[in-house]
Amino acid sequence: MAKSKPSKKTTGTPPPLEIPEPKFNWMNQSRQWGTRVSPGKSGLTLDSLNVGIYGEVPPRWTDQGRNPRGAIPVKGALPIGYSVTEKIGLWAPMAAELYEEAIQRRWAPATDVPWASIQALPDDVETAICQVCTEIAQYANVDIEVLTNWQHRMSYGYHEVKQFLATASLDAARRYEAFRKRALTNGGGLGLEPMDQVNRFLLESRGGWTETVAGIALVRGLFLSTMCEYLFRHSYNDAERAIYSYVIQDVSRLIAYGVDHLRYCMARDDEKTSTVATMIAIGLGLMARDLRDPVLREALAIVFGGGIAGARREGMSVFLDFLEDFRERHVALRRWLNLPGDAMSMPRAFRPREPRQAR
Amino acid sequence: MTTPAADENLPELDLSWMNRRGPWDTHAKPGKYGLTLADIQVGEYGETPQQSQNLTGRSRGSPPRRAAMRIGGYTVRTKSDIWVENASFLYEEALQRQWSSATDVPWETIKPLPDDVEQAQCQLATFLTEVEFVAGDVPARWISVTTPDYFEARQVLLAQVMDESRHMDVFRKRALANGGGLMKATGATAGFVGGIDLSRDFTEMSSRLHISGEGAVLTIFRMGELMAYNDAEKAIYRLCAQDEARHVAFGVMHLRYMSQKAPERREEIDTYLDEAEGGMLTDAANPAGRLTQTSESLCILLGGGRDKFDEGFRKIVAIRRRQLQEYKKRVISAGFGERFENGRSRLNELMAQTAA
Repeated sequence: MAKSKPSKKTTGTPPPLEIPEPKFNWMNQSRQWGTRVSPGKSGLTLDSLNVGIYGEVPPRWTDQGRNPRGAIPVKGALPIGYSVTEKIGLWAPMAAELYEEAIQRRWAPATDVPWASIQALPDDVETAICQVCTEIAQYANVDIEVLTNWQHRMSYGYHEVKQFLATASLDAARRYEAFRKRALTNGGGLGLEPMDQVNRFLLESRGGWTETVAGIALVRGLFLSTMCEYLFRHSYNDAERAIYSYVIQDVSRLIAYGVDHLRYCMARDDEKTSTVATMIAIGLGLMARDLRDPVLREALAIVFGGGIAGARREGMSVFLDFLEDFRERHVALRRWLNLPGDAMSMPRAFRPREPRQAR
Repeated sequence: MTTPAADENLPELDLSWMNRRGPWDTHAKPGKYGLTLADIQVGEYGETPQQSQNLTGRSRGSPPRRAAMRIGGYTVRTKSDIWVENASFLYEEALQRQWSSATDVPWETIKPLPDDVEQAQCQLATFLTEVEFVAGDVPARWISVTTPDYFEARQVLLAQVMDESRHMDVFRKRALANGGGLMKATGATAGFVGGIDLSRDFTEMSSRLHISGEGAVLTIFRMGELMAYNDAEKAIYRLCAQDEARHVAFGVMHLRYMSQKAPERREEIDTYLDEAEGGMLTDAANPAGRLTQTSESLCILLGGGRDKFDEGFRKIVAIRRRQLQEYKKRVISAGFGERFENGRSRLNELMAQTAA
């Protein structure tokens, strides 16, 4: 400790205090002083901070600690062990914007869903809805496990992505909660656990974040988002409509991050295009196998058809429309990303019906 | 249930799955706070196993399928390893109290400050930008390996990751909003033995993160009025304090549950607390500790300028004492109060060192 000087006399009775001589050796140390970011019409956003050196996002972040981007790093700190250290491996230009949007669009299943609007439903419909809720809750569980497994491996220099993923994992937590609540609130309960190969595919995609993103966004995310749109159209009360609409907007952000990242990454690494295409092909193949299991397919058909009686014709027809919409959206995104493959290269379950029935 | 009359070319429905479902006739009802997690703890759905055998990731209460693959890979499968009794309350409160650093902080109230005060504010903000997300990275890692049978506790941790993300960004925003900038990092959360990052057990991690680490920061945030120079900074400290209080509450309640349900681990927990106490004044993760770049910046802020360092130092000593007192209360509340009576705790010794 530096030389000390006696405390100045104070009123009261505390014992004399030895006050250390300050060093102030941390003062006047900044890589860019004089930064003044002002709030815009959306407030003071994360993206708006990217000015001068603070907006310089290097292609590789070698610091293995939590040195904030733009600060003077400390030397000799022991490494934490981040493994995603290259910008190409996680970056999405719109991550900061998506982060702020997620916060602005926050919701609480406890209070933002009009639970009182749920009235008793026929047993077949309630059973089907509860089965769908069980499946979607497990999707959410997988999202939680996948996102949190990657988040802590990402370098601090790319904080915008880490922060966006924090919102995405809380979104998944809300999905898990909202669908469990729906299943337990109207005289039903949880349904059968899914036998879902896509869940396994996402959990076991540990080799690379970009490949995992391809599965989360273009396979599972798009499937879930499209399914929720169809469920919204065939919902039975305002509570379900609220849940589906909130979930659609949450999942849309995750898809947007995924597409933005894939585009960024593939524009800079030709090889990634083929690995991403392979990953998606595997994911779609597994999804097609999952759809052979009657549980989700029939549960959706019952919901869409208004009961077992309408499930076989009307309900299954809507279900097939849903798969077609999923396919069309998937193909459109592939085209936008310049990924090889079209509708005819997808598994049979997703190929066009001929001709599409007008109802 | 059975399929209705067969129809020309369409395949028959199977529907056998409709008879395989969890406990039925469940009617969870919303209360005055809406339909909360506590409200859906009904019947078997509210029963949490002491030891989870769920290796497929199914939702608690959902009937298992024998052919399902063991894709969970969970390492946290013992209830006492992670559970808290008030998880539902903490989670619902976290959702209700989410805030936005972009729009809920009155940034326009920040006016130019004397250069020494602005530098001190920016140094503190740099430090907080650096350390806040240790409490995001590390809980995230544990969430990913916790069985969904204990999802209530996991939900609280997910909300914490989000809170810490906001803390990281609000202090970065403060550093860049008033003619300053980021200053010098500290390496306070580096990968050293005994650090939060390297913990190999959830309770070990929680005692370091929630009880000592965040507890110390909470004391400082609660005294934010003393070091704030405008309404924006007051709002930041107040909002962060309410988040931090939930995280600390999680740690206290978890330790309490652990001490009651797994008494064989009490001695081990005391060892973690020994370690935590050893670092309370010297650990760089405590901004009121002895690391000069954070403690001196706090002294400038608390005193009102570089020339009022002495006054600031007196206040920081008071903060250190308060940190120790609040730590003691938390540990007593968690059920480990005897360490303050049987001579194991170093707290009295630390009290005497607060002015060093």
